Amino acid sequence: MNAVNPGRKLALAGQALLLILLYLFLYFPIFYIMYLSFVENTVWPFPPEYTLEHYINLLTLDNFHQGLVNSLIIGIGTGLLSTLFATMAAIGLLKYQSRWRGLLMIFYLAPLFVAHILIGISSLIFNKAILGLPGNLLSAIIANATYATAFAFLVIVAQLARYDWRLDDVAMVFGATPAKTFREVTLPNIWPAIFGGFFVGFILAFNNLEISFYNLGAIPTLPTIAWGTLRHGIKPELYALASIVNAFIFLILIILYFLLKMGFLKLDIKDR
Amino acid sequence: MSETILQLQGIYKNFGSVEAAKNISINVSKELFALLGPSGSGKTTMLRIIAGLETPDKGRVLINGRDVTNLPPYKRGIGMVFQDFLLFPHKTVKENIVFPLKMQGKDESTKEEQYQWVSQLVHLEGLDERFPYQLSGGQKQRVALARGLVSRPSVLLLDEPLANLDRELRKEMEIEIRRFQLELGIPFIYVTHNQEEALTMSDRMAIMRLGQLEQIGDKFELYHHPQTSFVASFLGSTNAMQGEIKAVDNGCIVVDWDGVSLRAPYKDDFKIGMTVDYFLKSEKITIHPPGQKPDDHGRTVIEGRLRDTIFKGQYADYLISLKNDNEIIVSDVPTISPALRNATVSISWPSEAPDVFPADGGLA
Amino acid sequence: MLFFFVLPLLTTVVISFWRTESYTIIHDWNIDNYVVLLTKHTYLVFLGRSILMATAVTLISLIYSWPIAYFIAYAGGRYKLVLVLLTSAPFFTGIILRVTALQQIFGPIGIINTALINLGLKPINAFMYSNFASGMGLVYLWIPFMILAIYLSLLNFNFDLLEVAKVNGASPIKAFFEVTLPLNWIGTAVGIVLVFVPTLAASITPRFLGGVNGALFGNILAHQFGATGTWALGSAMGVVLFFVSIIAIFLVWKTVDLRRSGFTGGDI
Repeated sequence: MNAVNPGRKLALAGQALLLILLYLFLYFPIFYIMYLSFVENTVWPFPPEYTLEHYINLLTLDNFHQGLVNSLIIGIGTGLLSTLFATMAAIGLLKYQSRWRGLLMIFYLAPLFVAHILIGISSLIFNKAILGLPGNLLSAIIANATYATAFAFLVIVAQLARYDWRLDDVAMVFGATPAKTFREVTLPNIWPAIFGGFFVGFILAFNNLEISFYNLGAIPTLPTIAWGTLRHGIKPELYALASIVNAFIFLILIILYFLLKMGFLKLDIKDR
Repeated sequence: MSETILQLQGIYKNFGSVEAAKNISINVSKELFALLGPSGSGKTTMLRIIAGLETPDKGRVLINGRDVTNLPPYKRGIGMVFQDFLLFPHKTVKENIVFPLKMQGKDESTKEEQYQWVSQLVHLEGLDERFPYQLSGGQKQRVALARGLVSRPSVLLLDEPLANLDRELRKEMEIEIRRFQLELGIPFIYVTHNQEEALTMSDRMAIMRLGQLEQIGDKFELYHHPQTSFVASFLGSTNAMQGEIKAVDNGCIVVDWDGVSLRAPYKDDFKIGMTVDYFLKSEKITIHPPGQKPDDHGRTVIEGRLRDTIFKGQYADYLISLKNDNEIIVSDVPTISPALRNATVSISWPSEAPDVFPADGGLA
Repeated sequence: MLFFFVLPLLTTVVISFWRTESYTIIHDWNIDNYVVLLTKHTYLVFLGRSILMATAVTLISLIYSWPIAYFIAYAGGRYKLVLVLLTSAPFFTGIILRVTALQQIFGPIGIINTALINLGLKPINAFMYSNFASGMGLVYLWIPFMILAIYLSLLNFNFDLLEVAKVNGASPIKAFFEVTLPLNWIGTAVGIVLVFVPTLAASITPRFLGGVNGALFGNILAHQFGATGTWALGSAMGVVLFFVSIIAIFLVWKTVDLRRSGFTGGDI
């Protein structure tokens, strides 16, 4: 119901154009290497000579299986750990009004404002120099979890802010123990948020290079393999890898989107 | 009537298939003018068109004779008080109020002078540095009014300004807003869905329904002499009845309402056998204690059972069940004891009290 | 969290005051690392470059993100969610794979330059391992943060306030600077920090898009933990980087007036 005068229309059209340009900027590289992953002549792929060779090479690459398994372990481990931390933090923060609320919030979000490379090297130093442990998957998971928790926390807090905690009181009045209350009332209402938090944590850790690299040393993950390959000039296997990862991420995002559409998840916190 | 300041000429506005304004023409002079109507009647759209927040599909808006139809809102030099106040949350009371002056590029001394003037006018002294969230509802209302008035606009628009205030505060502000209008001598155009508010505050009013102007005029005129069924039923506390004209007698018609005879003045287009809507304001009915039966000369007199009495202080609403199973509400001085519940009483009203229209007039 | 986040950072600070000799850390308190960092020309140049790069990338993202976030929040209607998810989806692919993709576009033998060569034209030098190319890459990597931060802020912004401003005489531009921007400044500030901090520490992007001359502070920092094994110096660099980030966050935070953020405004 807003007046749309010519000037306003022009401004909106301009903004829409900027958005389209941004999408082009963001997606052209992604789709272009998807395309490259299927062609033989990758430097100037016109006309294309289609092949599946890069995918076969990728699958037979040294370390690939080991890297995939490690990445999955780190992704799932980080996802679980950060979701656990983030859920507890979010519930603690939202359910119990504390005067430290602001401070706690800043604390949980602090890793967002620290560069990954710093998280990577500091946990490397901490493990090796202080605890005397060599890098391993567990330390990589923990280091990844520090910042993944911050992201998961954001996602979960945004969702949980909409939950009416009086429902918990209702459950208790009708005889539910705190544990039962959580299982019967709280969890069914907030699981999409928790799932979203897990997804974010998983993806971030799965793809992370800088933190994992410093914690793992010689243990391969997909991003470290990719990094190693990229260092020796681009190999077409990388296009195949990037395409697989992208396809996987888009699939999950599409699933998430439909969850959102069907109302299982909400993004805005307007009607808190 | 004094000179016309604001003119709306043949305004049309559609939103998709919804007609929000259909050939609306209104002239407003230095008065308090109310735009009254149920939600969806198009009254807010009219206000937004005057403000420049909407552009009409057809028609013109003139302020002081100048055509402003295609001017953006920020070049019209009007003031507006928004529903929900809409104060800027990041600005202090003073910054909120001088905002229009700042936008006009006024210098500091003018701002200060105007601010002092308006904050005294609306009684806001001492709140300069507060932020909106630190104010009570009434204070927010005063800030919103001050912001609307500070630049001495040629017209002040008010969009349901009292909707969010509690009853006491609303009464106080109704009187205040009238006072501001008299002091400033500019048109105030006041949109509301609350007829009581419109009746209390306005000099003249227009009633809108489904994008059309039902009636426009003096508020007494509208209240006592409605020209459409809608206006008759919308204003005041009205009993709506429907029946067929049975007889014409001595300048009066007799309407049969489910077996009860009602009298009303004759009008030219009435014919025997015609179905009519019969509207009767509850305060135009008199209730008679049991045993007393009024003279039925020139009056309609009915008997009924006093089902309940709702005591309101200065008056009472009596719910009367009639023998045709219908019910009539009577507002009268509270003289009848509530103990008389279920007693048989008589009610009566003069023949010229009701407003009667042919039934196809379309009742909302 | 405290254990795994704060303690490692503190350890880094401690180590930065020690020294490393032939790949082992010597517990020997000194400030030599900092003296070297703050006096040696090369390090200062790298630091300066990183700060410059981060500032430029942040500014470009900021200017580009505002109209886009505004458009999505204001005119997105029921497609809001899709539109905003689309801007952040690439973020999840991970740095290394996105840099790979970017090299195929902006790299020396990326599609743009190969196309130019094939057309018989001169390749664009800016794409031949330059700061320009790595700047583009960094914008590509981090702009989703900026858009998301501003968008989320705009979601809770009452656009009706703009009508109030206009009726009271504010032109659209004035209304933006008087009402929209101040009321969404916290979101914008968060976006600024979220882009500035990782860009400041960038090492991978400049390495693969910036080439030899495009190396930034993050590259030499990474170097200390790789080839040279000078952990103590590297730690000191990390601490310096951390402090620059903190200063940046502090400067941005100084511009935020909580009372004027509209957050405390409740249901006005």
